[in-house]
Amino acid sequence: MPAGSDVLADILAIKGDLEYGEYLASECTTCHRHDGTSEEIPGIVGWQAKDFAAAMSAYKSKSRAHPVMQMVAGRLGNEEIAALAAFFESLGR
Amino acid sequence: MKLDRRLFLSTTAATLAAPMVLGQGRPRVVVIGGGAGGATAARYIAKDSEGAIDVVLIEPTRKYYTCFFSNLYLGGLKEIEDIGHTYGTLAAAGVNVVHDWAVGVDRSARQVSLAGGGVLTYDKLILSPGIDFVEGAVDGWDITAQNAMPHAYKAGSQSELLKAQLMAMPEGGTFAMVAPPNPYRCPPGPYERVSMVAQFLKANNPTAKIIVADPKSKFSKMALFQEGWADHYVGMVDWIGADFGGANVSVDPGAMTITIDGEVTSVDVCNVIPAMKAGRIAELAGVTSGNWAPVNAADMSTKADPDVYVLGDAASQGDMPKSGFAANSQAKVCANAIRGALTGSRIFPAKFSNTCWSLIGTDNGVKVGATYEATDEKIAKVDGFISQTGESSELRKATYQESEGWYAGITADMFG
Ligand SMILES: Cc1cc2nc3c(=O)[nH]c(=O)nc-3n(C[C@H](O)[C@H](O)[C@H](O)COP(=O)(O)OP(=O)(O)OC[C@H]3O[C@@H](n4cnc5c(N)ncnc54)[C@H](O)[C@@H]3O)c2cc1C
Repeated sequence: MPAGSDVLADILAIKGDLEYGEYLASECTTCHRHDGTSEEIPGIVGWQAKDFAAAMSAYKSKSRAHPVMQMVAGRLGNEEIAALAAFFESLGR
Repeated sequence: MKLDRRLFLSTTAATLAAPMVLGQGRPRVVVIGGGAGGATAARYIAKDSEGAIDVVLIEPTRKYYTCFFSNLYLGGLKEIEDIGHTYGTLAAAGVNVVHDWAVGVDRSARQVSLAGGGVLTYDKLILSPGIDFVEGAVDGWDITAQNAMPHAYKAGSQSELLKAQLMAMPEGGTFAMVAPPNPYRCPPGPYERVSMVAQFLKANNPTAKIIVADPKSKFSKMALFQEGWADHYVGMVDWIGADFGGANVSVDPGAMTITIDGEVTSVDVCNVIPAMKAGRIAELAGVTSGNWAPVNAADMSTKADPDVYVLGDAASQGDMPKSGFAANSQAKVCANAIRGALTGSRIFPAKFSNTCWSLIGTDNGVKVGATYEATDEKIAKVDGFISQTGESSELRKATYQESEGWYAGITADMFG
């Protein structure tokens, strides 16, 4: 099993702090439009928490390519990824 | 400043009665400047406080033209209206938008006075006025020469003027730029502009020349730009850095000449980008030291006054470049801290980031970015990346397309 999936399991075990997630999400919405539409950069509003956490873990471990996303994810801890994942999922409800 | 005063008088007649009454009972945040920093801060405080804070945004212009992508307008890739944004959505979201100039700040009385005669009291004051130019920075140029030799470093009519002059250049003519010394708004901005001017000339006036007089010996994304100029605009761009006398420059707007290290050249267009300082209102508020306003990294409050905050280009904060992305990032940290101070909501640790995309030619985008954290001393860089020379055209195209996405994202984040 790749090392990344342990990390992902750890993240998914955390109950994301929505308010913290909302604050952290303001960094994302500089590029990812807050109305969720995609315009050259994919929309992320309403993603399932597990998909969001999987994408961020992959950027963080650099198994998924993209310099901006690797940099942004690289400094997020598990609590922070869980908070963001919970927040973006909550917008889809 | 003469032009500004005239604008004050023409735009301010009908503003101020209502806002004074509306804010009673609620804490009030006054934001001066509705650009990348100010619009973002106003929007976030209004949105997140859900009416608990009275947010007043003071901005003289009814339409904000972003400097970002204004070079793409020069290059023919955007129309001027593609980069213009109004304040209606912000107003509908609860921000009290006052179209006026702030002309004074009395910090002991916590009051801002407006050109139209109104006075606003505040609990917290945010200044995000952008830049003004250092007087006497370029020998022969002052603000009254900005029609003959535009700066186009505040977007809008200046951008349109520079574009018109570019289009009117005679065949084989000369476009000169005087580049600014550090620190200044948008480190790659002058060089993206050279690229976009070159792109326009290559298509419309291929024997024309570009001369750049630069007081610096190196600049942002230098290797990337120089590679691009050599590949796409062969023999067109003559960059004269400090090592070759680029700092020893004077201009004559009447004669349309530029003198670089003693050599006089007649030019058809001269884009003078002088040294910069914080927008004048920061100085009037007494929060500057030298040309800029020193701030605390944790919340962007000024060293001079814990209730006055400075965002964006006007701030001296440490390692972040003066960019729209940076101003927007700082605004969110500041908004969270101010809301916490006024309503008791949670305050989270400051985190900042920046990415600056630049366009070298159609579909040839490059980028540089970094993340930052607050230390006791400054906003300190944590990690970063930069595009590489020799990248594939597919990657460069993807980078350009990403910048289009960013533009849509950040303008929605600023204006709603
Ligand atoms: C050619 C060029 C290209 C650029 N490209 C990019 C880019 O690709 N990416 C990027 O991130 N950044 C870019 N920038 C930089 C970016 O535009 C600035 O860093 C950003 O706008 C700074 O935001 P700010 O809030 O400090 O100032 P501004 O956005 O300039 O906003 C200041 C506002 O304050 C108002 N104001 C000033 N004085 C007063 C007063 N007394 N009372 C009331 N209102 C007042 C002004 O009218 C203005 O609207 C570029 C800049 C230039 C010039």
